[in-house]
Amino acid sequence: MGEHKLLTEHFGTEGLQTLAVYERVGGYQGLREALSRFTPETLIDEVKASGLRGRGGAGFPTGTKWGFLPKDVFPRYLCCNADESEPGCFKDRALIDENPHQLIEGLLIAAYALQVNTAFIYIRGEYHDQRLLLERCVEEARAAGHIGANVLGSGFSCDVIVHGGAGAYICGEETALIDSLEGYRGQPRLKPPFPALKGLYGKPTVVNNVETLSNLPHIVQRGGAWFKQLGTEKSAGTRLFCCSGHINRPGTYEIAMGTPIRELLEEECGGIWKDRSIKAFQPGGGSMQVLLPEHLDLPLDMDAVAQAGSSLGAGAMVFMDETTCMVNVSMRLVDFYHHESCGKCAPCREGTYFESDLMHRLEAGHLTLEELHTLADICDNMNGKCFCPLGDTATWFVMSAFKAFRDEFEAHCGAGACPVRTASAQLVTA
Amino acid sequence: MLIEIAKGMAHTLRVMLRKPITVQWPEEQKPVAPRHRGRHILHRYDNGMEKCIGCELCAAACPVGCIYVGAAENDPANPVSPGERYAERYEINLLRCIYCGYCAEACPTEAITLGPRFELADYRKERLVATKEDLLEAWPNMAQSRRSPSDHGAGADQTGRASEVPGLSPRVAWEDGIDSSASPRPGEYGIPSHVPRVISPDEAEPR
Amino acid sequence: MAADTTPPAAPEDGLVGITIDGRTARVAKGTLVTDASAILGIHIPVYCAHPKMDPVAVCRMCLVHVEKMPKLQPACATPVSEGMVVSTERADVAKTREGVLEFLLLNHPLDCPVCDRGGECDLQDFAFRYGPQASRFPITEKVHFNKAVPLSDRIELDQERCILCWRCTRYYDEITGEKELVLQERGVHTLVNTFEGKPLTSAFQGNLPEICPVGALTNRKYRFKARPWDLQRTKGVCPTCSYGCNINIDSRDFEIKRFASRDNPLVDDMWLCDRGRDSGPSWNNVERIRRPVLRDATGSREVSVSEAVAAAARSLREVRERHGPSSIAVLGSAENTNEEIWLLQRLARTALETPHLDHQLEAFPDIGPEEHALGIAEIEQCAAVIVLGDEPEREAPVLTLRLFKAQTKRGVAIRRVVAQATRSLVGELPAEGLIGLIADETNREHATALAGELSRSHQVRRMTVTRGVNGRGAKDLGMLPNSGPGYTAVDQAGKAGRHILEASAAGLITGLVVMGGSVWSASVTPLLERVAAALEVLVVIDTRPGPLSRAATVLIPGHAIFEKGGTVTNMEGRVQRVRPALPPATQTPSETRILSALAAELGAAGWPGDHLLINRELVTAVPAYARAGNGGRALFEAAVRA
Repeated sequence: MGEHKLLTEHFGTEGLQTLAVYERVGGYQGLREALSRFTPETLIDEVKASGLRGRGGAGFPTGTKWGFLPKDVFPRYLCCNADESEPGCFKDRALIDENPHQLIEGLLIAAYALQVNTAFIYIRGEYHDQRLLLERCVEEARAAGHIGANVLGSGFSCDVIVHGGAGAYICGEETALIDSLEGYRGQPRLKPPFPALKGLYGKPTVVNNVETLSNLPHIVQRGGAWFKQLGTEKSAGTRLFCCSGHINRPGTYEIAMGTPIRELLEEECGGIWKDRSIKAFQPGGGSMQVLLPEHLDLPLDMDAVAQAGSSLGAGAMVFMDETTCMVNVSMRLVDFYHHESCGKCAPCREGTYFESDLMHRLEAGHLTLEELHTLADICDNMNGKCFCPLGDTATWFVMSAFKAFRDEFEAHCGAGACPVRTASAQLVTA
Repeated sequence: MLIEIAKGMAHTLRVMLRKPITVQWPEEQKPVAPRHRGRHILHRYDNGMEKCIGCELCAAACPVGCIYVGAAENDPANPVSPGERYAERYEINLLRCIYCGYCAEACPTEAITLGPRFELADYRKERLVATKEDLLEAWPNMAQSRRSPSDHGAGADQTGRASEVPGLSPRVAWEDGIDSSASPRPGEYGIPSHVPRVISPDEAEPR
Repeated sequence: MAADTTPPAAPEDGLVGITIDGRTARVAKGTLVTDASAILGIHIPVYCAHPKMDPVAVCRMCLVHVEKMPKLQPACATPVSEGMVVSTERADVAKTREGVLEFLLLNHPLDCPVCDRGGECDLQDFAFRYGPQASRFPITEKVHFNKAVPLSDRIELDQERCILCWRCTRYYDEITGEKELVLQERGVHTLVNTFEGKPLTSAFQGNLPEICPVGALTNRKYRFKARPWDLQRTKGVCPTCSYGCNINIDSRDFEIKRFASRDNPLVDDMWLCDRGRDSGPSWNNVERIRRPVLRDATGSREVSVSEAVAAAARSLREVRERHGPSSIAVLGSAENTNEEIWLLQRLARTALETPHLDHQLEAFPDIGPEEHALGIAEIEQCAAVIVLGDEPEREAPVLTLRLFKAQTKRGVAIRRVVAQATRSLVGELPAEGLIGLIADETNREHATALAGELSRSHQVRRMTVTRGVNGRGAKDLGMLPNSGPGYTAVDQAGKAGRHILEASAAGLITGLVVMGGSVWSASVTPLLERVAAALEVLVVIDTRPGPLSRAATVLIPGHAIFEKGGTVTNMEGRVQRVRPALPPATQTPSETRILSALAAELGAAGWPGDHLLINRELVTAVPAYARAGNGGRALFEAAVRA
């Protein structure tokens, strides 16, 4: 498994954010080829053949998703989901910061494949600078004839609109994103009907992640078969991993799928900081279940990680060293979900509130053992009962941490303070 | 035989000297048991506010339906009870009450309890319909003037309320007819005059 | 059981089979699991689901287990598919219900004793039936919101009690389209509020407390008036207009406390307008006529009913003998029941033998049943509906909601045009399908002209919004000078309402019988003063005092519409029962008995006095009413042909 720099190949190139530099390193060649060599149908087949799976978290095969659009309903819409809000995730920001035109090119290729004449980039409210950058790049591309009527003289027309969110985590959920884009409260919609049938303004809509779209220029240029041989059987291509936590070199790393996690930790991230040992890590971002050091030898493969009881999700990797209190981490994550719950369904709205209240008391060491079981029961009552995955995922980390570090959770009960923090304070001073 | 008589007389003599158990009520009063269930009391908080919030749970719990509550909205500037609601009218038909204490059990604010008073007798049935003023705990600086029981309240079947008394509700059942000149004579127009309204057999469907 | 759950081959009946808790049913395609369970008599608790609104599945109370599905499914949003096997009795479903109720009660105040909804609250009921019984949450940690926020003079909002089922916001989105209520904030701090804090202005606010499953939205006019267990509930028909909305009359202490809606999908679709809903309690304060009175030159005196009836008959006979039968006129009103109308027109035509009878002031020449051919529910089947002027919707406000439903859910084109619109103003109409034309009685002529033009190219059905609760019944049963019962021809057309009054003032008519005239008399008070001065005999049977009752030579009290039985016909011809909800406010018999007694005194003995016997007589004479039965539409031949 060597390093395959695909999306990040030209990262760091001076002035890559301008059209001129991007075109000099081969930019918009993918779009040209897509428009000249492919029909929309063959392009969808090519993406299907590449085995590209969505990079937003669910890992749904992109070509299959495109195939769900009804054949003869127009207009259709394409949304780029740049509402990257998962705790521990920052790859989309890197992609936009470093190579915005790559995203716009991918978006246009997808728009051509789907025969969409209006494509949106929904970017989260906190990415203010990135939004301005994207808006500038879109204007630049429009001036160059890449966006607008008759893209590159092909007869295909597509407009791109950059829309800023207002800072709600839930708007990363595709139907909530669509609601927000339409100007309503960002709250998930009832499925079915799925967005592929009735999405934005009641029309067929595809929502794709930034990284997914950024892959498209490369698939078009080098072929789906080439892309498929990168990575593993079921997880094709490379992926960007956002590594953070107690490591020496946090950052975004592009790695071929299938590489062992240990390799990512040791070689790219430079190992755990301060020569400490790893206690646990969380792949996929704040939603996903915790994994233990023995899982470090798992390959970076969606199915392998799923078998271990977690998920690669949106490609975040949070490493925690031995001084970390798992109760504290759980509490912080539950607080996040409590803050971000949209309030649509009762189990999530009230459940995260209850969960957060219990976690705060647990962290402070004021919970009884009986109430700890209440916490487990509350999580069980939420998981799988909520309207959208937000409420479900609000329980996943807590439940997995409770299972893996039960002693630690029980030690907190009635302790009056966090026992781990007390112990690690000694470790640090020693 | 003689022995038996002597035994009996001995017992009689022995008991004769004891203090009698009976008391000369009403001249003499006997303390009642602390949990005696006598006439109801409506309690107040220490600041004088009424505990009763007019929720009508007592009326719902009452097995004989002798409690009537008419609630109203509190004036926030001058509240009668804490919260939004208070009992504007509260009546108990003491003649119908069986003193079971369910009302006290149902009360969410412990506003009503059954008190020690059991001497309930009067020459007029109407006076045995206790109104809120009768039942409320006495409190300094609080007006305690008694209102007569409401028209349709707990004592509607006891008060023998005259029809069309000015100031009362406009509605009367026409069995109450005092004015025989206005009400139809029995048999007139084929109407039996002892029922409040005409119900023909065809109409006897559940309402 | 297992054999039942998997039928070998589904019959080709367009239905789908479903098994819920071992009971099977075949239901129409697209039926939701909640509706199917209702058919099977299995209770699935719901908060957010509402039969008149699209599912949202936010409360998660209705989660049930569906075989072959990995997660529990919301029954309110899951359509039935062939062979679906649903379980509501499994332990995981019961635990989920407990869990959801615990969540809903987490931040719900312990308000029940002072809450107006207590006793008819879904949260109370379901918590009692499915709830966890004990709370595991410290009560001190509850999130607090504003209590008792007045949203308008009708509605009060308690944001703390709200369980965020969204029914109210969806009601404004889907049913009225006014979008006055919105959700604000997010997560556990989400609350319902008016848009930009403005007071509600809708004409349909009264429905909000009814659709609210808890006590968050309450009716300020009913606030703390009664508990549900105090109320005596009587089925009735809203007396405010001719739309005929079905209501429940809730009374306590012989007073009407509120009107509650009673769903009739063919008429009101469970929505009432505020005008109608508020009219109920206002009846308690209406001034009433209580005793029969005789009045002559020497003064007035209270008498018994029999004396009054005898005096009325005697004086009417005298007038007839002196001036002939056509010197007598009979006026009814649109607030009389069909049975009263039937006796009154019979009294005029056979006992008094006068052609002068009417129930309103305006003359309606060439009246026919084709004016009333379109049914309320049929609006949804039209391709387009033309509404002339704003009078129809002002007269019958609930019509607006039916038009909105037809427009948004059925795609019916609604054209609201000025009352005097001609063909060119209406514009393009769909070539195919039924065209509905709605007007009120003041725009009758325009509607007739427009319908004539349209019918050359389209199939047109008309709806005329009549006035008064029974204006349609009065027309159907011939309380008109130019049309007999069932729109039959009359030998000699008499004078219409206003002409009767003018003729009375001029001395051409000397004897007048008026029943329920207080409805229309307010608009013609000066004329009535001249009428009263000129008449020899004025017999008034009425509930409320007015210019006529004060001048009556014979005055007999009547029963209000809540105090008597009978039927009324709404504007589309639906014959609906009214029932006594209150004892009458007077000690006199009902109008029907007085009329039959009056007829007997006039020499026509043997007329029935009981409304059910009269009804039997009138359905024999008017076959359309026999076909309509109770709750059906009276369709006359001409209308069927149209």
